[in-house]
Amino acid sequence: MSAPLLEVRKVSRFFGGVKANLDVSFQVETGMVLGLIGPNGAGKTTLFNCITGFYPPSRGEIHFAGQRIDGKSPDQVCRLGMARTWQKVRPLAKLSVLDNVVVGALLHTISVRQAREAAREHLRAVGLQARADVLAGGLPIGERKKLEVARVLATRPRLILLDEVMGGLNARESEDLIGLILEIKKRGLTQIVIEHDMKAIVRISDRIVVLNSGEKLAEGTPKEVTSNAAVISAYLGASEGAKA
Amino acid sequence: MAFFLQSVLSGVLIGGIYALIGIGLTLIFGVMRIINFAQGELVMVGMYVTFFLFRLAGIDPFLSVLLTMPALFVLGAILQSTLINRVLDALPQNQILLTIGIGLVLSNTAMLVFTSDYRILSTSYSSSSVAISGVHLSTPLLYCFAITVVITGALYWFLIRTDTGCAIRATAQDREAAQLMGVDVRRMSVLAFGLGAALAGAAGALVSPTYYIYPQVGGAFTLKAFVVVVLGGMGSIVGATLGGVIIGTAESLAAAYVSSGNKEMVVYVLFLLVLLFKPAGLLGKSRM
Amino acid sequence: MKRYLPLAALLAASLVIPLWVHSPYALHIFILLFIAVATGESWNVIGGYAGQYSVGHAAYYGLGAYGAFILLNKQIPPWFGVWVAVAISVVVALIIGSITFRLRGPYFVLASIAVAEIIRLGALSWKDLTNGAEGILVSDLPPLKLGAHVITDWNSKVPYYYMGLAMALLCILVNVAVKYSKLGYYLQAIREDQDAAHSLGIPLARTKNAGLVISAALTALAGSYAAFYIGFIEPQSAFGLDVSVQLVLICIIGGIGTVLGPMVGAVVLVLLSEALRANLIAQGLFKLGLDETSPTGLFLKENLAHAHVLIYGILVVVVILFMPDGLVGFAAARLRRRK
Repeated sequence: MSAPLLEVRKVSRFFGGVKANLDVSFQVETGMVLGLIGPNGAGKTTLFNCITGFYPPSRGEIHFAGQRIDGKSPDQVCRLGMARTWQKVRPLAKLSVLDNVVVGALLHTISVRQAREAAREHLRAVGLQARADVLAGGLPIGERKKLEVARVLATRPRLILLDEVMGGLNARESEDLIGLILEIKKRGLTQIVIEHDMKAIVRISDRIVVLNSGEKLAEGTPKEVTSNAAVISAYLGASEGAKA
Repeated sequence: MAFFLQSVLSGVLIGGIYALIGIGLTLIFGVMRIINFAQGELVMVGMYVTFFLFRLAGIDPFLSVLLTMPALFVLGAILQSTLINRVLDALPQNQILLTIGIGLVLSNTAMLVFTSDYRILSTSYSSSSVAISGVHLSTPLLYCFAITVVITGALYWFLIRTDTGCAIRATAQDREAAQLMGVDVRRMSVLAFGLGAALAGAAGALVSPTYYIYPQVGGAFTLKAFVVVVLGGMGSIVGATLGGVIIGTAESLAAAYVSSGNKEMVVYVLFLLVLLFKPAGLLGKSRM
Repeated sequence: MKRYLPLAALLAASLVIPLWVHSPYALHIFILLFIAVATGESWNVIGGYAGQYSVGHAAYYGLGAYGAFILLNKQIPPWFGVWVAVAISVVVALIIGSITFRLRGPYFVLASIAVAEIIRLGALSWKDLTNGAEGILVSDLPPLKLGAHVITDWNSKVPYYYMGLAMALLCILVNVAVKYSKLGYYLQAIREDQDAAHSLGIPLARTKNAGLVISAALTALAGSYAAFYIGFIEPQSAFGLDVSVQLVLICIIGGIGTVLGPMVGAVVLVLLSEALRANLIAQGLFKLGLDETSPTGLFLKENLAHAHVLIYGILVVVVILFMPDGLVGFAAARLRRRK
């Protein structure tokens, strides 16, 4: 049995006296989609920030592809093959849509021409090829989310972390993105997905980790998690989308 | 020992002025998140106003604070509502450039109108000093410090005790929340800029008996005000008060023990060190 | 490639200008223009592409000027001294970069000013090396020789003209090269969103330092050229805050982050300040019917010549308020709207 692609070992992150994450552990196997859920303020984004190098964990270890990565900077982590999107999208507003993706693709080449070719392909993969020359700042929210995914794909990652990539989208746009996530999975890429919409997360995830007040509350298959009494009372009970 | 004490005390006296300019800067920053690069030029305007009040109407510079402050308040309020207000949502770099531009306009207008001659405002007490157990302190600086303390005290009272002061502090703490609570944040911004300018004007009036008055004098005050404000933590009025005194003292000690040519260098090095190792200022993030 | 045709035409024209134009004053204005273009384009690399608004570039400008002059006084010919001065600025830039690039936004601006002021004060007090506030005068440049053949002895403005043109051109070409390279993309990504750039694998410190080194080297080059041309340097004119501000203004007025912007900004600023200095504007107003002997007329005649910095200030205020992307950005947006 091969080692997991990502292993989070007892990771804690404190801000002053606030425990944003406390002893969170889980593993992600190659090729799976891991859903990360929890009520607002449960520490999901903080965990992403710890994994991708934006905050060093206060305690604990993170291993990725056989290397210990806690303490490495975000660009080093990205180089090792991990890329993320942002809960609040961060387009490079004054660059064109294509150039946004070119920036990602330049991770593997010094040639801007090559990077442009690669970028066009990734734009096609997310269905934004027609918008290549528009300034990224002018895109509507649905297309910005897709642009973030294309930009992340361009860094050719092994593991992708998607932070509420469907947040603020209408039903059709969400459906598009679910299709995209499943498409990416088919390519053999591993994903961790933070999402609020329970229906969506149950459809796309192989396993789900539930956070509550910074701690891991439950972990298992979508079925196990949605029938877990603690999860229902802490999270699903408070939310309306609890029909799995 | 007396020499050391004298250096420290004159540093503290000068520091009061730096604090006054710094408080103005930090008030503006707190409410609008804008660093006013024209702060020193406002001091310069205050100096000229004082100079001409003295020359033409014979008004004592320390008395003229009462006229300089309202005059500069009006100037600040006009600058805010006509220019600064338009860039509140712009890039911070553009805000900085706008205030640099305003500073250039102020100092060069002064040069056109008053020429670049150095002017001296000499009063009967300009060069007198008081001796307290072997420590000599300049009389104008002592007056100046006393008035600084009064103005700062009044400002604290205004910000803490009055409704308008509370509204200004609320705007500084969280602009959006303040707006939701019914605070007229636009008015608070005009008020804050006006107050910041008035404090600069007061400082200008107070230093005019001891400094040369010329159009380019503002630049040095602007830089010093930054140092003071960063030292105390951007947006913190208590911090700026403390920062002013610290910078004044550091400068005075450096002049006494290193060399007077290098006192500014010491200040800038101190500034860089604080920026690097304690970017939130010596008092951390506390804001009033 | 078609976009570069006008530039090529401009270049061809500037190569032949000295053949027709013999007026030293006209050549002088061209030389000032070259200096402005070179310094503006230099700042643009770090300020425009990377969005790191250094208001301390006088540090590199002054190091270029002082380095070249001091070495010349030690009998090192300018053609070597300049490069040594450039190398020194690069080293200093790396040190400054490693200190100031940890800061963001307004804090970075303040730190860049502080560093330049520290260097200025240093130049003021290290009298053995810099001659303090009195400055250094260099009246005679050794002739430029290739073997035994004397290329020029610098007796007219023409050699300075071509040297300046070459320098401005170099700065423009470096800008073009940077903008369309990996480094350019990375710098622009940092300008747009530092965290997003970081998450896409861009090493922030190294990328910014690379941009700063290029920017500092070009600024130092322009500084030493300007010093040789003027023949005199002192701390305020080499390291002063106004020098730094001027570089920023050229780019802001023209439009930052574009190759064309600093060129446009340089033309506007140089022509404007020369027009004021030569009192062309007052004379123009008199021609338009303003009474030369009226109090207003006398005042303008007397004072407009000293007002160029005032006009800069007004220009900056107007540009920031009404065309935050500079003249080039403003014109481009207008064109787009018309289409």
